[in-house]
Amino acid sequence: MQKYSVFSLVKNALSNHENWDLAWKDPTPKKEYDVVIIGGGGHGLATAYYLAKEHNITNVAIIEKGWIGGGNVGRNTTIIRSNYMHDDNALFSEFGMDLWRRMSQDLNYNVMFSPRGIINLAHSDAQMNTYARRGNSMRLNGIDAVLLNREEVREIIPMADFSENVRFPIFGGLMQPSAGTARHDAVAWGYARQADDMGVDIIQNCEVIGFDVSAGKINGVRTSRGDIKAKKIGLCVAGSTNILAEKLNMTLPIETHLLQACVSEPVKPVLDKVVTFGAGHFYISQSDKGEMVMGGDLDGYNSYAQRGNLPTLQHVLTEGIAMMPFLSKLKMLRTWGGIMDMSMDGSPIIDKTHIEGLYLNCGWCYGGFKATPASGWTFAHTIAQDRVHELNAGYSLNRFNTGHLLDEKGLGTKTWIS
Amino acid sequence: MRSQNEFSYGGDATVKRPELGKEISDQDWDNFVYNRKSLRGKHWELWQHLSGCRQWIKVQRDTATHEIFKTLKANEDIS
Amino acid sequence: MTQSFRLESGGLINRDKKISFKFNGKNYFGYEGDTLASALIANGVHLVGRSFKYHRPRGFFGAGVDEPYAIVQLYRNGETDPNVKATEQELFEGLEAKSVNCWPNVNFDIGAINNFLRIFLPAGFYYKTFMWPKSFWFKIYEPFIRRAAGFGTASIKHDKERYEHKYEYCDLLITGSGPSGLASAYSAAKNGAKVILAEDKSRFGGTLLTSEVNIGNQSGKEWADSIISELKEMPNVTVKNRSQVFGYYDHNMLVMSERLSDHLPKTKKFHPKQRLWYIRAKEVLISSGSIERPIVFGNNDTPGVMLSSAAKEYMKVYGVLVGKKPLVFTNNDSGYETAIEFKKNGIDPIILDTRKEPQSEIIEEAKNMNIKIKNSYVVVAAQGYKKVKSADIAKISDNKEELGSIENIECDCICVSGFWTPTIHLASQSGNKTKFNEDIDAFVPSISKQNEKTIGAANGIYTLKETLKDSFEKGNLLSKKITNNENKVSFPNVVEKKSAIHDKFWCVPLPKGKNYKRFLDFQNDVAVSDIEIALKEGYRSIEHVKRYTTLGMATDQGKTSNLNGLQLVSKIENKVVPAVGHTTFRPPYSPVSIGAIVGREVGKHSKPTRKSPMHSWHEKNNAVFVDAGVWLRPRYYKRGDENLFEASKREAKNVRTNVGVCDVTTLGKIDIKGPDAAELLNRVYTNAWLKLPVGKARYGVMLREDGIVMDDGTTTRISENHYHMTTTTAQAANVLSHLEYYLQLVWPELNVNVVSTTEQWAGAAIAGPKSREVLKKLFPKSDVTNEGLPFMGYMEGDLFGVKAKIFRISFSGELAYEVNVESDYGYFMWEKIIEVGEEFGIQPYGTEALSTLRIEMGHVAGSELDGRTIPYDNSLEGLLSKKKDFIGKRSLSRKAFAAQDRQKIVGVVPLDKKTSIPEGSHLVKDSNAPLPNPKLGYISASCWSVEHDNPFSLAILKDGKNMIGEKLFVMSPLKNKVIPVEIVSSHYVDPKGERVRS
Repeated sequence: MQKYSVFSLVKNALSNHENWDLAWKDPTPKKEYDVVIIGGGGHGLATAYYLAKEHNITNVAIIEKGWIGGGNVGRNTTIIRSNYMHDDNALFSEFGMDLWRRMSQDLNYNVMFSPRGIINLAHSDAQMNTYARRGNSMRLNGIDAVLLNREEVREIIPMADFSENVRFPIFGGLMQPSAGTARHDAVAWGYARQADDMGVDIIQNCEVIGFDVSAGKINGVRTSRGDIKAKKIGLCVAGSTNILAEKLNMTLPIETHLLQACVSEPVKPVLDKVVTFGAGHFYISQSDKGEMVMGGDLDGYNSYAQRGNLPTLQHVLTEGIAMMPFLSKLKMLRTWGGIMDMSMDGSPIIDKTHIEGLYLNCGWCYGGFKATPASGWTFAHTIAQDRVHELNAGYSLNRFNTGHLLDEKGLGTKTWIS
Repeated sequence: MRSQNEFSYGGDATVKRPELGKEISDQDWDNFVYNRKSLRGKHWELWQHLSGCRQWIKVQRDTATHEIFKTLKANEDIS
Repeated sequence: MTQSFRLESGGLINRDKKISFKFNGKNYFGYEGDTLASALIANGVHLVGRSFKYHRPRGFFGAGVDEPYAIVQLYRNGETDPNVKATEQELFEGLEAKSVNCWPNVNFDIGAINNFLRIFLPAGFYYKTFMWPKSFWFKIYEPFIRRAAGFGTASIKHDKERYEHKYEYCDLLITGSGPSGLASAYSAAKNGAKVILAEDKSRFGGTLLTSEVNIGNQSGKEWADSIISELKEMPNVTVKNRSQVFGYYDHNMLVMSERLSDHLPKTKKFHPKQRLWYIRAKEVLISSGSIERPIVFGNNDTPGVMLSSAAKEYMKVYGVLVGKKPLVFTNNDSGYETAIEFKKNGIDPIILDTRKEPQSEIIEEAKNMNIKIKNSYVVVAAQGYKKVKSADIAKISDNKEELGSIENIECDCICVSGFWTPTIHLASQSGNKTKFNEDIDAFVPSISKQNEKTIGAANGIYTLKETLKDSFEKGNLLSKKITNNENKVSFPNVVEKKSAIHDKFWCVPLPKGKNYKRFLDFQNDVAVSDIEIALKEGYRSIEHVKRYTTLGMATDQGKTSNLNGLQLVSKIENKVVPAVGHTTFRPPYSPVSIGAIVGREVGKHSKPTRKSPMHSWHEKNNAVFVDAGVWLRPRYYKRGDENLFEASKREAKNVRTNVGVCDVTTLGKIDIKGPDAAELLNRVYTNAWLKLPVGKARYGVMLREDGIVMDDGTTTRISENHYHMTTTTAQAANVLSHLEYYLQLVWPELNVNVVSTTEQWAGAAIAGPKSREVLKKLFPKSDVTNEGLPFMGYMEGDLFGVKAKIFRISFSGELAYEVNVESDYGYFMWEKIIEVGEEFGIQPYGTEALSTLRIEMGHVAGSELDGRTIPYDNSLEGLLSKKKDFIGKRSLSRKAFAAQDRQKIVGVVPLDKKTSIPEGSHLVKDSNAPLPNPKLGYISASCWSVEHDNPFSLAILKDGKNMIGEKLFVMSPLKNKVIPVEIVSSHYVDPKGERVRS
């Protein structure tokens, strides 16, 4: 494979950019693979990469209904963080942070990981205490966290509302300095390119029609491009999990919901942190291109439409202006929606299933993008070893039955309340 | 026609709460509390006219297109 | 400066009104009715800004919303707006604008070095480099790239402008006032339909303002004016200019932004700058016209290269020449119209037509006017850096692949026409799956998903006659359906020149040995070569191409680039355009100000503020308030220079020793009535409710179905079938919905009604050993002795003539009462309590003292009931009835919930009895253990115990029931604190609960 570097760029420029290799091939599916990963999103691509890299399993196919990276990995607000309270979430995410830090070099693809820090704003002492509980938990788990008072917050983000005319004054905030953002598409493409190089077949425009299950074992998958046999199949289709689960006669603790996001027109650098509002649901960062990337609430009802309605965005942007009044003068350039797997406790599922050889990776709620490397890594482990790794032991499917819930927000099963 | 803002979503309308005081298996209880079909297409769901008459209603809506096909009052059964 | 490119006459501007403005610090003049773009061009200014990536000089490309280049920083009335399109900004007196994306200035821009490095900066170059050394991306490369990107500068000043919202219904919404919009609006209005006609620009008429046609013996403009003035007179019609319908949402909800003040030097007092209209339309007619598309050739981004329709618009509407030596490069007849207009104004254009032998009335007219026409000719490349100076042109072979010898001809502008692209955005947003129309090489709407129809050029109909006929008909049919009225209007006689068919040609091949950049996306600097690289590297789906190259992702949202991009991909991939796919358009059609979307809910009004009837008393008595949800509650009452800690300690101490009064109006109150009320409570609460006597209150806990505590509170039986429920402030709304859900959907057989009465009652908690004395004074006629009104008793009383509800309930753990009166009398009640309580040393206390009191008693509140705890965790398992079923009971038997070592609430006291324990700290066994250090529990609430005069906290601790007496460490790494503590019972004061019963 061509190594990407400034030298290869110059070399190729001098030959008129005519000698660039394919980033990934476009193979026809084989009859059988050792492992088939369903879903060519970030998690599926990462899983295939780690299967090859960590477990030397390269006879792998990723099958994707559309084009790789077209789902939530390309439709999110690119925030990467490990500021979780529950140990299972925190340790899993922090493991992921390590993978993020070296991802560009590991993949030889610049994913533009930008550890600029995230600040969760607090608007009361009670909220400061809630954040302290989480921040202290992070620190005891070895994750960086800083509690900022009002003045410290003002110094970092003076454009937040520190005026008299504010409904919910800023009391302070919890900051994870090592959190940040990355270029979402690059993550998908970077994993794809390396996985392809190690022998993984990336098969696009290949829709799953059904599964071949007999005697409690999985034997293969039926697709729009023919039957493909595999003794191990991993499901990595957050947003469409319920649709595939139905084909397997499984009912899961997941509802499918729409989350909208939007960007403003690009402006010169004004905000160099990721900031979340504490008196509602709103988060913002500024992309390298200059666009303010904003998101907030779910549309609040089951949805498979990658389109939302304006009242939700209005509500989200209202909170945006409440937090940073200067946004009022910017213009909303683009809006889009992503389909979320909302699990019933807000945490994901990475587990084996009652069908031998069938593995499940789903329920990422809003947190899928940041989890891409850790999810791929642990899912690859779970598939390769046929047992869960301690990092994803908490993400079991039967935790709903046993009551070992991982509810970061304490909202319970009403997933539509964000 | 009322604005969407006045309504609040209440989830899958086909989920039936088990009868009080009846023995029920773990699986059936999980199905009631947690497990949802949540499919693409026609979906019977609950909405409450929260900023209005506060009635819960049942709505059949397409989860892919948001098209609304039917509505029922709280006490009407989905046929 | 003179307006050397202004025609001596003509245009729709008001030449009697001169307007002065500033651009990049220089003073200029224009006329009323100009846009910033037309005024600049009139003054010969063509260099406006720099492009995103290569910082190449940028001028004007269009004359409206499709403009990809002319982005400026606008200064108006002491405020600044980034990214304003000069082609859309109307000129006003004193307007100031500056170029963006250039440093030190637009003429000499350092960033333009990228232009020379451009061969090293192809599509996606940033994915392939900046990776070494590892730390450099975040520290060096990224900050550099960030500074180079972006366009305008956002001021962080608060926006002082006002934005409003309006909600409207109509029979017919018509989006665009060109020929199709006017015709359909007219016939619909005549049928009596309620019509809204929206026009994005300041002038109505669309293409009628610039085309040479005749309708009913009037010019297009005259006809448009007459229709508009008639429509404006009709009561059933709303006509709006400067109003863009930018979003088509579900159930025929459309959103329009009306720019009321952007064209004025400043917004009038109390007037909005913009207004957002939510319009629910029965039917929608999309009459948004079409946008001319460019032909791709070398250096086609040089200032002076522009759409031919824009050049014509500048002449006809603004009386401005975009150049004096124009070259018109066209593949269809539209270019001829522009050339004819030049000729009429005394300018000699040259037409390069890619077609070999086209024939039509328009072409004939051009020939008759002696306009020079070169057939089968193309522009190979524009020459000139900051402005077009000449063009390399060549003959092109019939198969459009071979170029003849290159000639250079002098010109100062190149007006391009590559035919027309229907503006299908709204149709696509509505869910209409558009289809590709081979005849016009563009997508048009197909089957309607909602009640929408597209008419005129937006539907690919490019002749006026057909457009008017179809639009009159559609307007008539749709409105007739709604109003059952038919007043058919007679169809006017239309005279227009016939056009020849266009040439499908869209991209000029590169001459041998030349490597010109041929741009597709002008703002984002995406060239043909970038798309080629993307495809070569396997980014083959159109979405991959877009994302990898950023084609169509700029602020013009690809209005002039999308289709040519698709053409290129289809050519290289050897597919037909529709097989390559096309973008589904999402709102907004063009960028909308966030202020307009939000409206008036800003600042203090971003959320409602709820205040109790006693609020003004609290204010007068130095209360410091705290937000409790949307409520404002007194946190403490400041005396002298007391701080929070001192004041709350004083207030709490006074409750323990004398008596205090606390405003508890914010507690949720629900009135429950009906013969089955007791049964409902029995199902909702975990404890037994069937035998509660009239006149008694009971504490209850309710669960969610998953077994987690949802809320707690007391409910009182007022009479046989009447209960008064209280909830926490935070959960009030949820509990009501919860009850309604079960009553309406799950147990409709229960005959019970519930209604929120939170606002109806003002509440005061009177607590402390002397509270009974206060009560006696308040209700001299009532027997409030321990016998007359025992713990958990209820009675009604007469508070100086006001009917009151008296509950003997306690949150503080002291002898206490809660008195409710109707809200209107709340202030009166409060004053009376303070008045009669004075002799007993009564003091008001706020939420902070309230917390202290409840923490000492081990009473749980929001920080323990955090949506993650079950009754056992809060030592509430005694309230779980074994005999009956209740909501959530089944979940409690789950393994983790029934575990023996389950977390439980405990008390925590620092060993030194001095060090305060920060809330949110965690309990660990070993404070020096390596990370991750296992956490045993967390501090949920802390206070200074006024009873024991030392710090005391509540904690939720793993295996809490077996931990009493253990010594652990409290750790708050955030505050750098390690505190040795002892675990004690959570009931730190009066563990037997004697005081409340005294």
